[in-house]
Amino acid sequence: MYRNNTISPRQFMYLVILFTIGSSILIVPGPLAAGAQQDGWIAALLSLAVGMLLIFLYHKIGILYENKTFIEVTIDSFGPWIGRGISLFYILFIYILAALVLRNIGDFMTTQIMPETPLQFTLILFLLVVIMGARSGIETIGRSSEMFISFIVLLLFFLFLFVTPQIETDNFQPIFGSGLKPIISTSFTMLGTPILEMVVLLMIYPEVKEKNKAKYAWVFGMLIGGVFLTMITLLSILVLGSDLTALNAYPSYELASKINIAGFWEGIEIIVAIVWMVTIFFKLIILYYASTKGIAQFLLIDDYRTLLLPLGMGMVVLAIVAYPDVAYFENFVGTSWFPYALTHGLFIPILVLAGALIKRKRKSKK
Amino acid sequence: MNNNFSFLPISKRLFITLACLLFLTGCWNSRELDDLGIAVALGIDKTQEGNYSLVVQMINPSEIATEAPSTRPPVSLYQSEGETIFEALRKMTLSAPRKIYMSQLRLLIIGPGLAEEGILPTLDLLYRDPEFRTSFLVTVAKDIEVEALLSVITAYEKIPANKIMDSIIAAESHWAATHGVYIDQIVSDIRSPGKSPILTGILLEGSEEAGNNISNVENVDSPARIHVDHLSVFKGDRMLGWLNEDESKGYNYILGNVKSTLINFPCEEKESGKIGIEILRTNAAIDATKTGSNPSITVTLEAEGNVGEIQCDLDLTKPETLQEIADKAEEDIKTKISAAITAAKEQYQTDIFGFGNTIARKNPTYWKEVEKNWDEHFKETVVKVEVKLDIRRKGTIVQPVQKKG
Repeated sequence: MYRNNTISPRQFMYLVILFTIGSSILIVPGPLAAGAQQDGWIAALLSLAVGMLLIFLYHKIGILYENKTFIEVTIDSFGPWIGRGISLFYILFIYILAALVLRNIGDFMTTQIMPETPLQFTLILFLLVVIMGARSGIETIGRSSEMFISFIVLLLFFLFLFVTPQIETDNFQPIFGSGLKPIISTSFTMLGTPILEMVVLLMIYPEVKEKNKAKYAWVFGMLIGGVFLTMITLLSILVLGSDLTALNAYPSYELASKINIAGFWEGIEIIVAIVWMVTIFFKLIILYYASTKGIAQFLLIDDYRTLLLPLGMGMVVLAIVAYPDVAYFENFVGTSWFPYALTHGLFIPILVLAGALIKRKRKSKK
Repeated sequence: MNNNFSFLPISKRLFITLACLLFLTGCWNSRELDDLGIAVALGIDKTQEGNYSLVVQMINPSEIATEAPSTRPPVSLYQSEGETIFEALRKMTLSAPRKIYMSQLRLLIIGPGLAEEGILPTLDLLYRDPEFRTSFLVTVAKDIEVEALLSVITAYEKIPANKIMDSIIAAESHWAATHGVYIDQIVSDIRSPGKSPILTGILLEGSEEAGNNISNVENVDSPARIHVDHLSVFKGDRMLGWLNEDESKGYNYILGNVKSTLINFPCEEKESGKIGIEILRTNAAIDATKTGSNPSITVTLEAEGNVGEIQCDLDLTKPETLQEIADKAEEDIKTKISAAITAAKEQYQTDIFGFGNTIARKNPTYWKEVEKNWDEHFKETVVKVEVKLDIRRKGTIVQPVQKKG
């Protein structure tokens, strides 16, 4: 079988964009508007600034050992036992995140589009395609991202363009109306989803060529994806008002349903929903690829592909049992997700970086 | 890996193809067009026992599609009752032949009884259920049962719900004494502490009995007609009463809803001749400042218009005459705006203009103080009105036809 496992920095940037938009586009605008009302978009921008600092940390880890994934670096620096212990947390984080993202698209489909279809069928169908994609390897994923990114960008611009007539500029005043405090506390929402989740990308970072360019690709990718998220939030607030944005379960879908071209082209929100299908598909592929690869490296299995099917079955079940109802999920995202993501997106990387640096120093002394 | 399947044996390839067939044959949730009872209008009211009573206007697809005239009505009406709206909707299958499909809904009519009792609980389902889009108008039946209103068969437009929706939109953009409100707007207005909602009224002209019959449209002048009325005033989600025509227009002037309308006034105090000015576009702005302990609101309206009709012999060649006409028209707009403000302040004592929201935008800290009992402060609020009207053109003749040499 032909196999080549590298992607270009440009493809990496596209993957970062898709990863940032995926699933966040559904679940982020609501909490942002609920927390900071009309200033929700400022909170989003704030979290992007923090995200840039995080990427420099991740990049540091990524270039430490040029060709090693985060799991390998951890095992290398802490030894097979402690290293595996730390990796276990990291792998579980990715795996659970993948299951939650899968459940997100499942919940969206069963809420908005096909309310009578049982959840597991949506999940299985979606995951089958993801498994096929992950099977094809990172190079194929990278190339297909090049193909789909234009669809995504065009559809998003289409959405932005055709909701602009419905904008009511009154809706986003007063800026900083209730001070900075709610903005800062709300920015944690977006920091948790998707900024801190980007730590997963460390699993594919070794496969990116030209690391000096890759760093900027990562930063730009996050900024472009983040600005799209900010725009969606801002437009939801401008068109629906912050109150209805917070009231709606899927404000971005509600926003898309506001498209009305010349009075007869309306109700085309499902076309715009392609954006979340495709972006979630890519986010899920990356998460799934990263988790199977991580588990393969954890268990010293040569080819991660053998794990794809069994782990997929597990993921469908995990996605279904992960939370009993949507209220539980909203509560979980609001209270527990940020500390959980912070542990794995900030503390563990710092720990691993410190361990790796110490190990390297000792080596050079010897 | 150029081809994912080329390395598989033929049996496996066949298996995968069959598996695809299994999954891709159709959508779980698919509903064919002939299973759908397409609802275009929904009427909701409360019965004496406190149950919801629902009336649904469903289209008869065969009547809509046909070119040949027939004696069957284009729409049918179905009714049911239930403790919740959802129950009533599902119960409707007892009388309707198909399950009601709500995505094409154009119009919601709320009965006068329910409107006075409070409409917010009613709106929950309509905003929550994914089958309801947000593109339908919410209206109130004025002095008539919802059922009677939805029974009227309309001429011109086969589907009565479409006729009402078109009427509202046409009246809104050419007469400006009404304003169509969509479901998300009303939900947002009710939830907002700085603005009280308004809704369009719908009433019936002529005899109730005649409207129900297909013969209603066999006359050139239909005996029963659905008429779009002025605005109803709500406080929170309860209806308080109605604005009259001038007040409704004044309301729309303030909110900048006026696209085009007409202003009438006499040429001279005692003369019988009148002048009609066609307003082409308006631009309204609301600004809030705080003077002393009370907030003060400034409403600025810039309008552009044409001379539309002159019934006396004014000398239209003089620029001063046009200026005079403009001044009088400005005065007329101001009167209407003041009438609307007075009605809101004194009669209904609630802020239908969203002045509270303007204050919340301009002065958030002050708003926090008055938010709780804003309607009390609203009564004390000073509102200044500034109107500027430019009359640009006077149509295809330069002088009134009455004017000689």
